[in-house]
Amino acid sequence: MTNVWLEGAIALIIGLIPCGIVAFRGDSMNRLVGLEAATVVVVMAMMLLAEGYHRNFLFDLALMLALLSFGGGMVFARFLERWL
Amino acid sequence: MERVIHILMYAGVATALFSTVGVLVMRNVNDRLHYLGPPGTLSIVLIAAAIVLQEGASQFGTKAIVCALIVFVSNPVLTHATARAARVRQFGRWSEPEDQRKKAS
Repeated sequence: MTNVWLEGAIALIIGLIPCGIVAFRGDSMNRLVGLEAATVVVVMAMMLLAEGYHRNFLFDLALMLALLSFGGGMVFARFLERWL
Repeated sequence: MERVIHILMYAGVATALFSTVGVLVMRNVNDRLHYLGPPGTLSIVLIAAAIVLQEGASQFGTKAIVCALIVFVSNPVLTHATARAARVRQFGRWSEPEDQRKKAS
């Protein structure tokens, strides 16, 4: 029996490839955009993995990633605006 | 009901995948930033809705809602901050015109 949640998670993980390409090429602003896109995709993939494997701690990881990526992204944006 | 859950989940995943391709294909930062919107608002809500419909008002459902809420609120703010940083890097800091500053004071 196939698990649709895991299928969705695998599709999202494949969707990280374009984000990775953007994050590894171009100037620093383009890299930041790639990183932000990848973060949102990873949060969704973690949610689907949590549902697929029925593991509660994976939801906690997704939650923490969503919270911390906001702070990290803001710091990156501020640094790129002012000093880098 | 199961069909609705699958449709919601796959719609969220498809939106996110199309957006990642858009991020890759676009040429500059401002164009790419437009493609951060759909996964951070539409996809995450669709996926959270699918999980809530599957699990009901359980711990899983609540955590999915909280997760979606955090991304839904923080992603536009982050996108705005990135766009602002890109603009400042490209054109430098901008200041208010002199006449508007006098009116404000």
